Amino acid sequence: MYVISVDPARCQGHARCVVFAPDVFDIDDEGYSFVQPERGTCAQLSEDVQLAIANCPERAISATDDDSKLE
Amino acid sequence: MSDDLKADSAFDFHGPALDDIFDTYKDLRGQCPVGHSSKHGGFWYLMNSEDIFAAEQAPDTFSVAPSMLLPPFATDVPLIPIDIDPPEHTDYRRILLPLFTPKAVAKLDEGMHRTARELATEVAANKVVNASEMFARPMPTIIFSRLAGFPETDWPKFDRWVDDIIYERTVDPERAWKAGQEVMDYFDDLLKSRVDEEPRDDLIGELLAAEIKGRKLTHEELLSFCYLLFVAGLDTTAWAIRSSLWYLAQHPEAQARLREDPDLIPAAAEEFLRTLSPVQAMARTCKKDTVVSGQEIKEGDRLVLVFGAGNRDPEIYDAPDEIVLDRENNRHLAFGGGIHRCLGSNLGRQEVVVALEEFLNVVGEFSLANPNEQWHGVGPLTLQIGA
Repeated sequence: MYVISVDPARCQGHARCVVFAPDVFDIDDEGYSFVQPERGTCAQLSEDVQLAIANCPERAISATDDDSKLE
Repeated sequence: MSDDLKADSAFDFHGPALDDIFDTYKDLRGQCPVGHSSKHGGFWYLMNSEDIFAAEQAPDTFSVAPSMLLPPFATDVPLIPIDIDPPEHTDYRRILLPLFTPKAVAKLDEGMHRTARELATEVAANKVVNASEMFARPMPTIIFSRLAGFPETDWPKFDRWVDDIIYERTVDPERAWKAGQEVMDYFDDLLKSRVDEEPRDDLIGELLAAEIKGRKLTHEELLSFCYLLFVAGLDTTAWAIRSSLWYLAQHPEAQARLREDPDLIPAAAEEFLRTLSPVQAMARTCKKDTVVSGQEIKEGDRLVLVFGAGNRDPEIYDAPDEIVLDRENNRHLAFGGGIHRCLGSNLGRQEVVVALEEFLNVVGEFSLANPNEQWHGVGPLTLQIGA
């Protein structure tokens, strides 16, 4: 199980993630990215999310393989 | 390289130095990823993408005072927010950021398309045409000035001010500073005229209504904001559109591909931004002794983050000097990064995409009529339209 998250301390609102994976990320009214409710976990990382991670200029997005969630 | 042994180069990133700057980057990177130039009062230059990224993430070590611009944009006034360090920077940025989100920019989409289509239609009516003057420059001027609330009757003055402040500042500083003062005077009058008016739904209106910790912005703060919006909002996007067209004019196969598959245009625009970026470098001042890629940098030293070189760093990109229209991993530095990343990036990107969509849709196959015209700047771009 992967857990996707945006580090709010790093995000600067470039909004690249929303371009690549609009179903997973969104931008709040202040201009910063967040993971949409219920979209933060997935069994496999989609290509969209991988592109969002690879293109984030601040390297603010992480996807951790969180096995503990399965236990 | 120790300080007393440092070999000064004449590296510059303005004017004619831009003609073959991509070769210069390659040469300098081969010698040393961090070097020193004697230009503009002396500065260290950072060529590696990783070093630039790290410096942008460390505003406590690398200050933007006295100015992120080297040389400055023809004024001594620190420009808000780009020349301001935290903590003040945080409050200033908070005012502007919500105004340039993708949702805010999406509201401008229809007007953007309409303007671009009208301008492109005029271009298409010619056989030989200056596409910079007729398309790349007016489109962002119109879009941004409407958004900002710069009155339409004043637009004809803007190009000369931009030329003098941004491009003459390394050639004829006196002329640049005169234009800088004219722009300050212009916004001084404009702001004063707006204070007593009904509030309007534009950037100036937002700034007039904005508050920091319960207080309104001072007249001086408003003036600085306006000056920055002016120099940042018009020229950079015009350059990006012009340089994209400059490339496409020499690559009919790329034109054909984007005409066939317009969905590829956003990715192509990113690639043009990476390789032909309007902002090749921005400056910082070192606040405490530090080391970058083995090079000691002393407190008080000026340094320049060479985004244009980082964007062609072979450690980061496959075939870095090649323009790959559908490049997938494109975490480029065209808009900078960290707390000072370009606030208008979403707007700028959308303008470039819409400009290319409409231009390719309306204008037939085009080629470069004057091969001496360079990739950089906002000067003439003479295109031959049709076979």
